[in-house]
Amino acid sequence: MTTIVVNGVKREVQAPTDTPLLYVLRNDLALSGPQFGCGLAQCGACSVLLNGKEVRSCITTLGSAAGKEVTTLEGLPARWAKQNGLAEADAAKILHPVQAAWIEEQTPLCGFCQNGMMIKATELLERVASPSVAEIKEAFTTSGPSPHLCRCGSYTAIIQAVQRAAAAMSKRSEA
Amino acid sequence: MSNSTDVFGAALSRRGFVKAGGVLLAGFGLARAEGQQQAGRVDALNPALPESWIEIHDDNTILIRTGKSDFGQSTIFTAYRQIVAEELSAPFEAITTVVSGDTDRTPDGGGTFDLLGGGMPNVRKAAAYVHQALLDLASQRLGVPKEQLSVKDGVVSGGGKSLSFGDLVKNQKLSLTIPVKGDVNSMFGLTVNGNPPLKPVSQYTIIGKSFPNSAIVSKVTAKETWVTDVRLPGMMHARMVHPRTLGSKLVSVGALDKARFPNAQVIVKGNLVGVVAPTEWEAIQAAQQVASGTKWTEWKGLPGNQRLFQLLKEDADWKTAPAASSKTNKGDVAAAIANSAKKLSATYQLPFLKHAPIGPTMAVGDVRPDGTVYVYTHTQNPQALRSGIAQMLTTSVDRVVVRTFAGPGHYGRSNGGNAGAEDEAVILSQAVGKPVRVQWTRQDDFAWSTQSSAAFSEVEIGVDAKGSLSAYEINHYMPAMQDDRLVGAILAGLPTIPAPNEKGSLFGVANSMQDPWVYDATPAVLERAYGTGQVGQNSSPLNVGLRDHSMRTPGQYQQNFPRELAITEAAVLAGVDPLAFRIQHAREKRLIGVLESARENSGWATRSQRPSGSDAVSRGQGVSVMFRSGTYWACVAHIAVNMTSGAIKVEKITVAVDPGIVVNPAQLKRQVEGGAMMGVSMALLEELRFDESGVTASDWRSYPIATMADVPEIKVVLINQPEVGTYGQGSEAANALAAPAIAGALFDATGKIARRLPLKADYVKTLLKA
Repeated sequence: MTTIVVNGVKREVQAPTDTPLLYVLRNDLALSGPQFGCGLAQCGACSVLLNGKEVRSCITTLGSAAGKEVTTLEGLPARWAKQNGLAEADAAKILHPVQAAWIEEQTPLCGFCQNGMMIKATELLERVASPSVAEIKEAFTTSGPSPHLCRCGSYTAIIQAVQRAAAAMSKRSEA
Repeated sequence: MSNSTDVFGAALSRRGFVKAGGVLLAGFGLARAEGQQQAGRVDALNPALPESWIEIHDDNTILIRTGKSDFGQSTIFTAYRQIVAEELSAPFEAITTVVSGDTDRTPDGGGTFDLLGGGMPNVRKAAAYVHQALLDLASQRLGVPKEQLSVKDGVVSGGGKSLSFGDLVKNQKLSLTIPVKGDVNSMFGLTVNGNPPLKPVSQYTIIGKSFPNSAIVSKVTAKETWVTDVRLPGMMHARMVHPRTLGSKLVSVGALDKARFPNAQVIVKGNLVGVVAPTEWEAIQAAQQVASGTKWTEWKGLPGNQRLFQLLKEDADWKTAPAASSKTNKGDVAAAIANSAKKLSATYQLPFLKHAPIGPTMAVGDVRPDGTVYVYTHTQNPQALRSGIAQMLTTSVDRVVVRTFAGPGHYGRSNGGNAGAEDEAVILSQAVGKPVRVQWTRQDDFAWSTQSSAAFSEVEIGVDAKGSLSAYEINHYMPAMQDDRLVGAILAGLPTIPAPNEKGSLFGVANSMQDPWVYDATPAVLERAYGTGQVGQNSSPLNVGLRDHSMRTPGQYQQNFPRELAITEAAVLAGVDPLAFRIQHAREKRLIGVLESARENSGWATRSQRPSGSDAVSRGQGVSVMFRSGTYWACVAHIAVNMTSGAIKVEKITVAVDPGIVVNPAQLKRQVEGGAMMGVSMALLEELRFDESGVTASDWRSYPIATMADVPEIKVVLINQPEVGTYGQGSEAANALAAPAIAGALFDATGKIARRLPLKADYVKTLLKA
């Protein structure tokens, strides 16, 4: 039995500790945000935040996540609510500014990679309030184990959505 | 109401009255489905399920159904809603539900391509019939002649009275039977027949607006049910152990270590080997363990990358399949070239490409005890897949249901039915008597999926003394492009459709002219397309070589790159600016329009107007055009070439697109941006690596695609032309435009002509040294 904290909730998992976190999240905990893209940490479709850092859940074992805080796409609204002192009940009604920006910019095409893109954007914007285009490109290409890949070619829309989210988040923190 | 009212060839009838609710269903009748030989063929498993295109409900909501699926185009959630709302004169928001893809819940089949149907998708005509039926109902209810009625926002008015669409159907069960033709299980599905009156374009209020894509909210908030999320009671996980080569037969299966994997089991059927277990992790590990001990025969029947074009040029049979000639061929090309002041003779080569979806293909198969079969997948053509699965199991098509879900886009791979894993999931489910989820690995997806055909073209051009094209000849050579066989069925020795062969006219080895000629001022033109079998197939004991499949702008990409780069070369030969040269040879105003727009919006400048580059970096510009599915495209690429390494950086892509009527500007813009980006990736990076035995690309390192670091400035200019009267389509064309524009820009920047793709740094470096 391994204990992990997923989206703020303590979860007990039966799976063997060498099971990649991705399969635990998807199959044992019924979370559908992270996707299987390669199993090789080469694409970013499976990304989650582990103690606030973007990791590839396809090569992160359950054992190595024990006792740590995992945030998936599903947990972004609650994460934002907690960071901004909003009531837990409000978290259910809001979106993380990154998600809102992704919708406003109509960013996804097929959308399969966008889980990882939004996770990466969240990690970036928690670190850098107003990233330049160069900093955004750096985050999505060289900051992790591999570039975050989008086959549909939505990179331009992703950059615009990150900028929109950054503006929304800065506004909030000034308020 | 009488038993049946004729509505421009459709039949409106009242099936009864109901106390609560009320609905108008617009579907097709079997008796009216021309070409339906077997009456049972269009029945879903449960014939009571609705198969209508459009439902008008008494609460003024509207439901639409389409056999097509969303692959990221958003069309069925945006353009289809807009088109139906427009034809009905109902609010966009009234269309609350879009049902798509599922074979038991949608009426028309067909593939997810040609989404706007040359301006006349099924939903448009169906909506036009429904609009007329609603007018007939209102005329009877209001006692006002039909021609004196007006409709706005879902309300019919006339004679000082008005009724909403919901009022018109309240307490009734109405059905409108729409005439159709075709075969629902074929590649193209059913098509709505007849000519109901259409709303004049001048009265459009909904088409042309940027409505958001409703599917995006669920995907961004993790509420979407992706195909990857399908979980059935008792479902098992599986991984395949595919043959070592594309021609390997099974010698012996590795023993399963039951101590380590107590719940796993190995399924073997012919050359098909799969490992099934209750948990995904056990299936993965057990499959790896079994694979390591499994023995296969060796096979070497492919040329490898090095010898590919030598084989295609010297050994392939281009004579058996009939050559296709363009309808626009004219003049005596040979004589005109002989008399030309300047001549160009060149060969152009394009590599095999992978569709390369971000998620490897997966599917869930469920062969139930009663023999019915359910397949859960992400496919562009569920009805064609249904028919393929029925054929494989030697059962009737009405025993098979295909349900579709959102998934990773794969750009044409499944437009003939299967993406790869569906048939394997069904075979394994039948073997274990439980639902089975087959997830291909990244390596499976590179090695065992189809690819976009490699091709080469030979060009002869004559330029006259005045600097105009005097003659143009091109001969295109491409192996068969549409292998829709079920690969699991092939491995298991089960029935599937024949391999592409000389007799298959549409999907066989014959090639066709896909890239319409657009330089109408050219006096002599000869374009031909030659086809042949798939590379390696005949010598493979599995009858599997490099299986090909249409991928974005299929065939046309392979023909447009050589044409457009050759036209740029001809312009330089003629001493004319390549963009001006294109305008000089165009007669079609819309083509000239996109070229002028691309010129203005890209900052196109002739050589003499630009500063010369440094020794280290040289900059250039190139242009390309395409006419596809009613839409004119022009693209300008601005690039920087590192003169030492040969690396190309695409700095700006400008795309001007005239589709006639722009249905949804914001969605079209995003589609074009994405296509242009994928086009840059194809032009600069992509080439499938293979050796004598099979595909050697196995991951994103061995098949690199563009990353965010490669993003150029992308400028999309939409040219709305209501006077064209209808909407063109084919935003995939954006993919194809980049390569010839970038190669043209390389020529401009360096004076070097790169006639084969991709334009990798090493290749460009070699050209620069030459």
